[in-house]
Amino acid sequence: MREKTDIRTLLRNNAVTIMFIIMCAVCFTFSGQSINYVIFELMSRLSRNAFIVLALIIPIVAGMGINFAITIGAMASQIAMLWVLEWQVPGIGGFLLAALLTAPIAGFFGLLIGNLLNKMKGQEMIGGMILGYFANGLYQLLFLFIFGNLIPLNSPGLVIKGSTGVANTMDVSKATGFKYALDGIWKLPFGQALYVFSGVLALFCLFLLLRKRISGKKFGLCLGVLAACCLLYQIPQVAGIFSMTQVPMVTFAVVALLCLFNVALMRTRLGQQFRAVGQNRVVANAAGINVNRVRVIAIMISTILAGWGQLIFVQNMGSFQTYGAHEQVGLYAGAAILVGGASIVRATNGQALLGCILFHTLFILAPAAGKNVFGDAAIGEYFRVFISYGVIAMALVMHAWGTVQKRKPQNALRAAVR
Amino acid sequence: MAKRLSQKLAAVVLFVLAIALVCTGIFGLNGRSGVTGQQIIDEMGLRSLLVATGEGVVESYVDIAKQEATAQVRAAGGSMAEIREAVQKAEEEARATYSNTTLDYDSVDTTQLSGAVEQLREALNAYYAEEAAAREAYADMMLAQMELEAASGTAEDALVDEGPVSAEEDISDAEMELETEPTVDMSGFVATDEMNRLMEQAEAAYVGVSEALAALYEGMDAQAFDALQDTVMALVSQSGDTFETMFDRFQASGGGEALTDDLWNARVIRYGDDLITVGIAVLLTALLVLFYQFLVTKLGLPRLIIGLFFLLLCVLGTVYDLSLPTLLSNSVVRMGMNSILVLAMVPGIQCGISLNLGLPLGIVGGLLGGLLCIELGYSGWGGFLFAIAVGILIAMVVGYLYGLLLNRLKGSEMAVTTYVGYSIVSLMCIAWMLLPFKSTVLRWPLGPGLRATLRLDSSYKHILNNLWSFEIGGFTVATGLLLFMALCCLLMWLFLRSKTGVAMSAAGNNPRFAEATGINVDKMRIIGTVLSTILGAVGIIVYSQSYGFMQLYTAPRQMGFIAASAILIGGASTSRCRISHVIIGTFLFQGVLTLGMPVANVLVPQSTISETLRILISNGIILYALTKSGGVSRA
Repeated sequence: MREKTDIRTLLRNNAVTIMFIIMCAVCFTFSGQSINYVIFELMSRLSRNAFIVLALIIPIVAGMGINFAITIGAMASQIAMLWVLEWQVPGIGGFLLAALLTAPIAGFFGLLIGNLLNKMKGQEMIGGMILGYFANGLYQLLFLFIFGNLIPLNSPGLVIKGSTGVANTMDVSKATGFKYALDGIWKLPFGQALYVFSGVLALFCLFLLLRKRISGKKFGLCLGVLAACCLLYQIPQVAGIFSMTQVPMVTFAVVALLCLFNVALMRTRLGQQFRAVGQNRVVANAAGINVNRVRVIAIMISTILAGWGQLIFVQNMGSFQTYGAHEQVGLYAGAAILVGGASIVRATNGQALLGCILFHTLFILAPAAGKNVFGDAAIGEYFRVFISYGVIAMALVMHAWGTVQKRKPQNALRAAVR
Repeated sequence: MAKRLSQKLAAVVLFVLAIALVCTGIFGLNGRSGVTGQQIIDEMGLRSLLVATGEGVVESYVDIAKQEATAQVRAAGGSMAEIREAVQKAEEEARATYSNTTLDYDSVDTTQLSGAVEQLREALNAYYAEEAAAREAYADMMLAQMELEAASGTAEDALVDEGPVSAEEDISDAEMELETEPTVDMSGFVATDEMNRLMEQAEAAYVGVSEALAALYEGMDAQAFDALQDTVMALVSQSGDTFETMFDRFQASGGGEALTDDLWNARVIRYGDDLITVGIAVLLTALLVLFYQFLVTKLGLPRLIIGLFFLLLCVLGTVYDLSLPTLLSNSVVRMGMNSILVLAMVPGIQCGISLNLGLPLGIVGGLLGGLLCIELGYSGWGGFLFAIAVGILIAMVVGYLYGLLLNRLKGSEMAVTTYVGYSIVSLMCIAWMLLPFKSTVLRWPLGPGLRATLRLDSSYKHILNNLWSFEIGGFTVATGLLLFMALCCLLMWLFLRSKTGVAMSAAGNNPRFAEATGINVDKMRIIGTVLSTILGAVGIIVYSQSYGFMQLYTAPRQMGFIAASAILIGGASTSRCRISHVIIGTFLFQGVLTLGMPVANVLVPQSTISETLRILISNGIILYALTKSGGVSRA
């Protein structure tokens, strides 16, 4: 009896993830794409999107829901990139300069966002979303009427003669740009990357074991899984699947660093405060935590990280739409993390990465599947937009439903008895 | 106290400034029709004529010299390079000799010339009046012919009008034309006999002018005057001339130099109307400064800012000589077409689901109604009512289900409704591609799916707009549309005062108290949601009949936000609202948008600044309302 309920709760708690796995499988069958291609595409999408999804975790832990205002972080990084392009700083230097510039701009924006969201507690998500739209208006003013007009830009290609404002597309793939600044430093074929990854993880586990953070049993399990992966890769058929895939090591190292940062931060005093505020603002306040300040810090960190995430995205893509690149950032990142099984009150690194993988698998497959089933790629396109919105709507509904259910007296009683 | 005093002082200063401005302006306007104005214009006209002729004289001498030089060198058998050199030399010499032949304008005797110019002007004015009349008659004739052709059934050209553009591309709100007058092809227009006769008279009058000019400029031959004829005629008079256009024209061609003494006087006369407008604006500013506290408490800061912005746009529109009555009548029409969508917010707010950002659900229902109407070939009133009926039916079912959903998630409606609305819109994007509609008006001529923008010419375009509409001095009153809006508002007002309506408001205002008094809160919320969804469906049909197009695909996505921001501008909060908020808010919001676009285009040509403006206003006001609704406590 007990077993059965557990499976049911497991199913209910991970309904979105499971549904998505099924949907990915269905789309894969209909799309007719080869698995090599999917893996290849997925690896590049993962490398450019994972960071920004991970940027959502801290505000969720701090009880502010999904931070749709990360679009503003993306805007901050685009301002920084514009100036790096203007100064024509190429390569990794340009990338680092852009990252350096992004931090104070995004931090300042984060401060403003945090203070505004503190005035609408309980409505942060819709507030953040509308704030994103509002900021988009200001961003247009800035790029259409201030940059290139009031503040002249001299670098070629940034301003198109005869039209107002900054050009529609920013190209970073030229000699003076920073395309692949991060990806290109160290690339390995998938197999070697797997070995490196396993080695690093094994060392890390050993380190944790020595510090007595994990038990010997867990350590053994971890080593076993890694060894199994490496052995599995020895089978030629399996290796064949990954033959096209190149892994940008540095990018993934940065993503791994962010994961570590997220974990480490939660162990600090500030992290504890995030959690306390996230669980119950009133109690946290009574315990002497300055709730507003903690929330502002959470949003600031998230906004800066989102800015860097957008930088990683752009250095991989090679160009961005000046007036549109930031618009869907919040939507796609939010949907991805929810797909991974996070809720608007709980999220982990694993969920973010899993969600990123699943969400982007569907993104790769949906247009092709739509074309094969309905004879029109546009339907697949609409379908994936529907999925993004639908996933968020569903997660919100399920969360709200859950809270209402919990609040009902008979359920509270049952929980207490258990 | 010092603050109050400085406030009063500033107000008084502004008052004085305003009165001074208005008085100067009125003085200027009076001068325009009076003797001074006439004198100034005549003087300027003569001067610019003289300047133009002087330039013409020099040019003609230069031309003659060039021709002579060419002929000389050619006769001597020189090469092309030599010719070029000689021509250049001749030109320089001619300019040097003749440029100081220009007259000392202040000392010449212009009595003969002014008489001749007056005659020419009269002749030209008569000609232009005749031409305008003839053109109008021609346009009427062509229009009648076009209608005849349209009636005889040439519907083929309706099918080849647009290719399959991408679904994202739709006519933006900013580019819409409310009054699409059929344009008449004027290329077939020929001058009438009467026009030719008047033109001859004008040419005869020009001979008089040329004689007078010849007396002043020695050495002008008949050939040079022939060349000058068009310039002079265009300078003296143009069709539809007013004081302003003449002043600007003369000023541009150097006539302003004549007014060394009373240039300022002339400027006051020219810009008299603008002075009055600015004066009134300053007066309003003075009133604002004086009653600032009162206004802020009474209206609230955002409504005050938007209202002032609207007035500022009105002033700018007048200063830039945009037709204010037309713009205002457009704003009123746009208020009418958006009002039902905004009204849909009222039951939502009152029943406690806050701003119904899931309005696209109702809109999709209305769109389906409209599609069915076109598909089945209904048109006119029958089609319109059919579309509304179908829309209401669909919206009722959808709204009920939606209400059930919302009842299960009390407290976090706004975020959920937004995303539910968004997902429904994207889901319907797929549906628009797949639904089995057959009509060629609806489908792309090539490729699958429905068009992104559907023309309603064949069904119910402008059916309310044109009902009993009339015009007063450039201000078109769309009586039918406004009556429909008033009817809906009245019905809503009555409903809110009925037993159910009061119970609904109570349930939204204080659910626990309502529950205690025996009101079924869940039922009331469902009623409110259903009503809101139904109004969304009706609203989009009214909107599209006024717009003349129906937009599918992603177009409905933002409509919920636009409606929500309109009612918030009107003064509503996320939990309380009144019918007056709907009307004031819609008028202000749409007024700012309608006036904003042409004014912005004058300030920064070819820009999307008015679209940016819409984004800022609409989202800014929602943000403001959200900050008011959330707690400000530390926890």
